[in-house]
Amino acid sequence: MASGTVAVARVAPRASRGLWGDAWRRLLRNRPALLGFVFIGVFVGTAVLAPLLAPHDPGALYPPPPDASSGATGPYPPRPEHLMGQDLQGRDEFTRVVYGARISLLVGLGSVIFGVILGGFVGAIAGAAGGRADNVLMRVVDVLLAIPGILLAIGIVAWLDRGLPQITIAVAVTNAPIFARLLRGGLLAIRESDYVLAARSVGVPTRRLLLRHMLPNSLTPIIVAATLALATAIIDVAGLGFLGLGPPDPRTPEWGTMLTDSTKFLRAAPYLIFFPGLAIVISAVGFNLLGDGLRESLDPRLKK
Amino acid sequence: MALLSVDGLVVRFRTHEGTIHAVNGVSFDLDEGETLGIVGESGCGKSVTSLAIMRLLPKPAGRIEGGSVRFDGQDLLACSEAEMREMRGRDMAMIFQDPMTSLNPVLTIEEQMVETIQAHRKVGNEEARARAIELLTIVGIPEPENRLRAFPHQFSGGMRQRVMIAMALALAPKLLIADEPTTALDVTIQAQVLELLQRLTTETGTAAILITHDLGVVAGMTQRINVMYAGYIVEAAPTAELFAKPSHPYTVGLLHSIPRLDAVQGEELIPIEGAPPDQRRAPVGCPFAPRCAWRLPDCWTTNPPLAPVRAAEAVVTTGPGATHRVACHNSPTPGEAAAGRPLREGFVAAPPPSAVADELAVVVP
Amino acid sequence: MTKYIVRRLLGAIPVLFGLSIVLFAFIHLIPGDPATAILGQHATAQRIAEMREYLGLDDPLPVQYVDYLAGLLQGDFGRSFINNQPVLGEFLRRFPATVELTIAAMIFAVGVGIPLGRFAARYAQRWPDGAVTVLSLLGISIPVFVLGLTLQYIFAVQLKVLPASSRIDARLQLDLQTNFVLIDAWLHGGWTFDEKVDAFVDGVRHLVLPAIALGSIPLAIITRITRASVIEVANEDYVRTARAKGLTERRIDGRHIMRNAWLPVVTVIGLQVGGLLAGAVITETVFAWNGVGRWIVDAIGNRDYFVVQSTILIFALIFLMVNLIVDIAYAFLNPRIRYA
Repeated sequence: MASGTVAVARVAPRASRGLWGDAWRRLLRNRPALLGFVFIGVFVGTAVLAPLLAPHDPGALYPPPPDASSGATGPYPPRPEHLMGQDLQGRDEFTRVVYGARISLLVGLGSVIFGVILGGFVGAIAGAAGGRADNVLMRVVDVLLAIPGILLAIGIVAWLDRGLPQITIAVAVTNAPIFARLLRGGLLAIRESDYVLAARSVGVPTRRLLLRHMLPNSLTPIIVAATLALATAIIDVAGLGFLGLGPPDPRTPEWGTMLTDSTKFLRAAPYLIFFPGLAIVISAVGFNLLGDGLRESLDPRLKK
Repeated sequence: MALLSVDGLVVRFRTHEGTIHAVNGVSFDLDEGETLGIVGESGCGKSVTSLAIMRLLPKPAGRIEGGSVRFDGQDLLACSEAEMREMRGRDMAMIFQDPMTSLNPVLTIEEQMVETIQAHRKVGNEEARARAIELLTIVGIPEPENRLRAFPHQFSGGMRQRVMIAMALALAPKLLIADEPTTALDVTIQAQVLELLQRLTTETGTAAILITHDLGVVAGMTQRINVMYAGYIVEAAPTAELFAKPSHPYTVGLLHSIPRLDAVQGEELIPIEGAPPDQRRAPVGCPFAPRCAWRLPDCWTTNPPLAPVRAAEAVVTTGPGATHRVACHNSPTPGEAAAGRPLREGFVAAPPPSAVADELAVVVP
Repeated sequence: MTKYIVRRLLGAIPVLFGLSIVLFAFIHLIPGDPATAILGQHATAQRIAEMREYLGLDDPLPVQYVDYLAGLLQGDFGRSFINNQPVLGEFLRRFPATVELTIAAMIFAVGVGIPLGRFAARYAQRWPDGAVTVLSLLGISIPVFVLGLTLQYIFAVQLKVLPASSRIDARLQLDLQTNFVLIDAWLHGGWTFDEKVDAFVDGVRHLVLPAIALGSIPLAIITRITRASVIEVANEDYVRTARAKGLTERRIDGRHIMRNAWLPVVTVIGLQVGGLLAGAVITETVFAWNGVGRWIVDAIGNRDYFVVQSTILIFALIFLMVNLIVDIAYAFLNPRIRYA
């Protein structure tokens, strides 16, 4: 049978556009991920377009509704001029929620990026160097991980004093160990994997090895983790704000800070809790959905 | 009456990507005490056939969509799940390819063997344990009393497979199906396990179906062989006859792709070119046509039925005198079978008709 | 197996040291002058000098550290600035409240999470599974304080079926000896059995909302991991073997599937304890719960540094211990590690 025709049956040939192309296509077909995109779009859109969307100044005080008893201060329920009501001092809640998106986005993104860089750096050194350095660095990571979640962030903010930059650093440090471990694990596994061995056996130089083989593969779990970390970052930042560790200036519209002491007016003004709370949930849900979708579509072995 | 009678079995899998036609009308019989080999490459439907017989297809994807299966006089496809459960382990047993993953890692061997016995017989723990020791001795496990308390990962691969065999034969089933029982084992161990299987099935008179992709394995072990391709049986014959007079191009190809120690130096190894068909589409014509060097124009359009090689013979389906049957429009002659390629003057394998050609990449050397 | 335990214990030692160093740095390495930072801008020079003396700030750093460590080992965790009481004592006084809350939340998370996960696995890819997935998603996306406030609003303010805050109805005047409300209800909740039951029930009613709020995230995570684990195990070869042997579905489910599916879930539960300890801080603030969490928050506001430092240290120690126990339990449950 050596000579003669060779026929290979094919069905609807689909050119594979490499890992990223395939993953992108799979992602677009994943419905929850698309929903996540929508939510994120709302969140980011609100943040970016804040000045256009919000009618008022987030820090300014506004007069009470005409039918309020004289001498009383806020909060006031929603009405046409103030769609989400007014807070204790009379500020416009809607504007604050809208501008709050900016703060959440900036602080959240900042803390994750910073955390990835910090953690990734440490993890890369540990994974690439191995041996002693690896041991020491991972012990440090273990120490940080021994202090559960928010407590570590609280400790750092307590140490640095309250404020938005401090919160950013605190959440970044809380996230960093995850990325350190991911990057280290990825590099370690790949360093000893078969296909690196194969590449080396045909003489591929080390730097090229690192860039074209090792890095892209370690990258995917980090992308997924970063997206999910963004969701928790938004929640953690709000949590720290809620505890009173946020920006000291009451005019700054941070969502969590807007909810501090809100237990007191739970009865009188539930809308002050509902709207910022909903904003936080929508943003977090968006990134969680996207993160899950990314995880499914970026796993090259799960060819659907 | 044959112990097992499969007639026109059709199995399909419904998945996200569409329907997979795993088995497309398979028929064979098996007598008590007979050992039948089913040979074929991955994806040809051999494992699926046996899973279908035991009604162990993965739900909800796998479905039996046609044909019948009669075992010991009963219509298996009409049985309830409860009835099937009673039969599994007791009347029909199956052992699988990878003994490491086929045994529960968190239970001891004793627990796994005793539960098999107690699932079908009302016996106390002591009695079941004694039986387990007896079985381990039969399959050649040293110091069985101690080994009972061990966990699967503490055994070697060959030992684990012996344990699986012991569990399968615990209740003296009438039928044993062995799905690639030695594929995951070292070559030296393979021989031991196969010898064990053969000895036990002969001693107990258990009918056996031995599924493998390795022709070498079935050569010494079976009385008859079914060769499967793409969900069909393409050739069925007593073992010796299959090796002596292979009548299907695929069988010829299989025999020629085995490296042989006694081959002439410099003789070429002749691979079967091409790849197995995509089973997402229902087959049109003979499924082997794209890879066949003997094909005729008819082969593209009509799927040849399984028919006796020597025409007009009454068909005997079981036993050493079973009829040699093949599903082919243009069987290789014995000379061509020996050579591995068509020897007829000016014969060229028929090109695909235009409708089919669009989807095929035909390479002319 | 003992080798494994010993190795784990030894591995924990560097982490313990690392922790103590980090928390030492918390006070002794505050940017600027630690004494001034602790006492505030308006402290007298006298007091600042006393504080510097107390902290040993003029000694070389290693000496400071050793002093600190020695103090810790003797139980000296510093004193609170608010009432000058030893921190350790104050911590132990308040701790039972947090423990009660944490245990209640864990019972909720595990008690609902595992069955829910199994349920979702059973109906995988069909609508009940989708519903459970949505629920888990919400569980991890709703911050504890938002959930807590919402629960308060719905059940306490609107429906009025559950209390909004604190641990027990003040009118019952329960004498909190052990500071475990549920225990004190039986011991000190009045003279008659009925009175004791009333106190106990009241305690439970106060626990419900905070436990749900705190346990929501662990619930979501435990549900997910249980579901994933059960699905994965159900597809394993040995489950197919068990079916081929003719075992009943119940037996297969209980013995073969769950015994293996447990393992990752156990690990996750251990990790979630940390999350609960951390989340308690927020939950206690929302529900006016007199536990350690609320204490930390107040302490931060009051710049009560020793309290903050020591509480974090103790929580971390607890977390480490729990993880150690979980690791050992896992090794025990998984024969492949037990008899390596």
